[in-house]
Amino acid sequence: MTHSTTRGRLARLGLIGLAAGLALTGCSTVGSTAGGDSGATGAADDGTFTVGFATGGQPDADWQQLQGDVAQGLAEQRGWDFVELSNDNSEATATKNADIFIQKGVDVVMMFNGQPSANPVIAKKYEAAGIPVVTFDIAQPGWYFVGVDNAAAGTEGGTSLGELAKEKWDCKVDLVISAEGTAAGQINTWRTGNARDAVKKTCPDIPEGNYVSYEADGNLTTSLANAPGVFAAHPDAKNILVVGLNDQAVVGALQAATQLGRDGSIMGWGQDGGLITGDNVDPNLVGSVMYFLEGYPASAFEIADAIEAGDAPAVKDTGDDAAVSVKPCPVTAEEAASIPSIEDRVSQLASAPKGSTEYDLFCKA
Amino acid sequence: MTTSLITAADPAAAPEGRGGRRRPDRRGPAGYRDALSIAAVWLVLIVATTVVRPDFLSSQTLLAVTFTMSISGILAVAQAIIVISGGLLDLSLPVALVFSAWATVTALNNGLPTPVAIVIGILAGAAWGALNGLIVVFGKLNPIIVTLATGFGGLAVMLIFFTSAQIPSASDLRLYGLGRFLGLPNIFWPMVIVIIVAGLALHFTRWGRHVVAVGGNAQAAKARGINLRRMRLATFIGAGAVAGLAGVMFSAVTPSFTAAAGAGFQLIVIGAVILAGISLSGGKGNLLVLLLSIGFLATIPASIAFFGLPPAWALVFQGALLIIAVGIDGYRLKRTAR
Amino acid sequence: MTTTSTAPARPAPLFDDPQQSTARRILGTFKGPVGSISAALVVTLLIGLIWVGPAYLSPSNVQIVGVSVAIPLIVGVMASFALLAGVVDLSIGSMVGFGAVIFNQLVAAGLDPWLVALITVVVGAVVGLTNALVIVKFGAEPLAVTLGMLTLLRGLCQVIVVSAPPSTLIDPLYTVTQGAILGFPTLLLIGIGVTLIAAGIVSKTRVGRKVQAVGGDDRAAARAGISVTKVRVIALMVSGIGAAIGGILYVGQLGSASNVLGTGLEFQIYAALMIGGYSITRGGVGNPLGGLLGLLVVAGITNILNVQFFDPDYLDLIVAIILLAAVLVDRIRGGDSFE
Repeated sequence: MTHSTTRGRLARLGLIGLAAGLALTGCSTVGSTAGGDSGATGAADDGTFTVGFATGGQPDADWQQLQGDVAQGLAEQRGWDFVELSNDNSEATATKNADIFIQKGVDVVMMFNGQPSANPVIAKKYEAAGIPVVTFDIAQPGWYFVGVDNAAAGTEGGTSLGELAKEKWDCKVDLVISAEGTAAGQINTWRTGNARDAVKKTCPDIPEGNYVSYEADGNLTTSLANAPGVFAAHPDAKNILVVGLNDQAVVGALQAATQLGRDGSIMGWGQDGGLITGDNVDPNLVGSVMYFLEGYPASAFEIADAIEAGDAPAVKDTGDDAAVSVKPCPVTAEEAASIPSIEDRVSQLASAPKGSTEYDLFCKA
Repeated sequence: MTTSLITAADPAAAPEGRGGRRRPDRRGPAGYRDALSIAAVWLVLIVATTVVRPDFLSSQTLLAVTFTMSISGILAVAQAIIVISGGLLDLSLPVALVFSAWATVTALNNGLPTPVAIVIGILAGAAWGALNGLIVVFGKLNPIIVTLATGFGGLAVMLIFFTSAQIPSASDLRLYGLGRFLGLPNIFWPMVIVIIVAGLALHFTRWGRHVVAVGGNAQAAKARGINLRRMRLATFIGAGAVAGLAGVMFSAVTPSFTAAAGAGFQLIVIGAVILAGISLSGGKGNLLVLLLSIGFLATIPASIAFFGLPPAWALVFQGALLIIAVGIDGYRLKRTAR
Repeated sequence: MTTTSTAPARPAPLFDDPQQSTARRILGTFKGPVGSISAALVVTLLIGLIWVGPAYLSPSNVQIVGVSVAIPLIVGVMASFALLAGVVDLSIGSMVGFGAVIFNQLVAAGLDPWLVALITVVVGAVVGLTNALVIVKFGAEPLAVTLGMLTLLRGLCQVIVVSAPPSTLIDPLYTVTQGAILGFPTLLLIGIGVTLIAAGIVSKTRVGRKVQAVGGDDRAAARAGISVTKVRVIALMVSGIGAAIGGILYVGQLGSASNVLGTGLEFQIYAALMIGGYSITRGGVGNPLGGLLGLLVVAGITNILNVQFFDPDYLDLIVAIILLAAVLVDRIRGGDSFE
């Protein structure tokens, strides 16, 4: 029965450990109440300005990780502390991250939250803690909005695509496909919906029945899985336009068209510029709207500079009245060919003079 | 010793020790019946869609359905091999898929010739299978739990080490992925070949008969002198190689993908295997029925598009059909057992 | 674990020896998986204390861990009855999401939250009943049926929530799910309460013994006069109801519900439950206390990585390794071995 006694001992050890743990909890409760409200993680607030950065954590978008890398570089330039978490594309994680940043006692939070449904709760927490927040692309009352005017980006993309259709096909368009990403909420309405409306405005004679939507979920794999049925269901459409939430969604539709032999006359105009640079651009992706997403932290750090100097600017929290409005940069595929790839842009931005934005550096340079 | 309780709710399941398998002749009439019932439901779906939209029966629909079938079909063969061999389920196939696609693309981007890149992709899948197999065999652990762990562990490692991968747009493999043969997508044909070859191998080779025997009753197979460890390891490696081929095909049709890109295949592949009547208790399964069930599941999204419904409905129908199918299957087994 | 390799497979006694004292019985619970997982928790706490410092156990940090672990705990403990009865329920993650979506949408539509909560719980029960009907009545494989239900419910979430979901901040529910009583997270207290009740049911009542008996060997249980059907139907309904409650609590905590809420939660929960001594492939084993400890270990490690601002991708890798280690230890101790 030796094994049994050993196990018993182990178990008792476990119990003792648990008890010790609970006792410690109690002690530190007392300690902390006595010690006041200093930064709870004891990672001693030594007075250094600290940036808390939450990346989006959507694995399909590499710009989200790059935003974190760019921000880290900018913080190092300034000699600030920098802590990073991932929102993991989950509203529950994003909410927990807020608690962690508050506990850490950061001085400003920057984030992209791709699942913004919990943003009101997150805002409530930061407001109670008195921590200013910079949000990228998704507006929330009380947070500095840094981002592209998504509504304008959608309209500009759609207009450019409409103009091309007018020029090439005399607006004889058989099918306008919207590759939606409904999980993005309002952003999807602005980008995809406004692009669709802009096509409508530029080519008003396209019949209402020629507009179709499908769920592309903002990533190429899902879009490519769902799009073939859409083309099959409209077998007679020849001249086809595609708009969508982002480049991945649009390229998914274009790839499906190629697979079904429907790429004879199809043009897609993306959003976010994720797949318009580099060597492997889809030949039917005629253009995209670049926001240089990875460069957003440069704008956010201007706000942080002011906050650090004790001179926090007034909060501007909507796309129309943004703290920093990133100018959308609509580019055709030819124009995009001269724009460096995302990694090169990140390194060039790092060595550019303080205050440079990617728009200045790269948009139709 | 307890029997696997995945099937314990099925009172017809033979308890261990009694030895009798519940369908001695499962390759015969049962396979036919499975095939007929899936073909019938498939036909109902096609007729229903055609009534609403007569233009459903077109070469475009055929292209859409065959394209959708291609990659999930190859992956389903990998899953079927695992299930038939009594390995329960491999939950890490999405990782195997993306890992081998990444290996293929990386080889191409480093200037290696296309055939070499394809072999590297398949080997990467086999290596992944070997990892799972080694843990299962030497840890004597349940494959569902092992592959659950290696599935999210492997995804984590890929997320740490690579962001996105792009196949060179001028490479032969990429051009192959965009082409057609006999009016159907190129990538459809490897799927057909894999199903035929694997199906024949399972029925007519010694290896195949051993796989089925081990899946049907491991202890009895062992008593007959089959080396269980070697058999299991070989099955995992073989299934991994098939998944590797799926990865190669995936890289040929997906110009840019990330580590998580395989997630969407998980449910559809498991669903196809179960719908095909390939019991999770192992030892039975017909790959031609599997082909039918993949075709049926791939038709659902196309039908949904023809009805003009949002694609989320495809998930609802696929889920509901899976429940109904396994319900009917279970009921039938129960009746025959009486 | 030096001596365990020689331990013979010793099946857990179906009925407790009435002569054992209560203290011995409680201690007895800590033998086996619960014992080793307690040790793992102690190690986790020690690593936390050494690496993070005393702040690891500060009230605010306990609050963070408590808030994040409480809902999976409640869902997991309720689902563990299905595991114990030998019918794994994979649909819990989607049911959490579906419950949250129904609750959020109906409350936003202006219905009374209590009424909506009742509706949501009923929906959870109906989903559980549907699973049970197909599994128990028709004899289908639990894994396959609940996988279908997982897909179906996720599809319904996406059908219902097509753009940004409405925001419904219900103050009392927010306070319960995010608040603290005497410096301890309220929701975690509730979760621990649920766990203790469940542990009591499992180890002390006839109902619990029946569930274990059905999960351990349904034929023997049937011969002993236990209604296998009834036990499994109720267990699956409890699992569905638990997930529905989890959904409601998430809406309270997050103030809304997207159509991706709860995605993959079933695997997170079952990984933790397996670390705590349950099995998703075998009924009749596991104790809610082990489940609690398993979830706490994972949450504790998550938190160490979080407050040290470590790349969260490593977390999944660590959980995967711990899971493999846990089932390996269980196997060596005489649990199921797979050949």
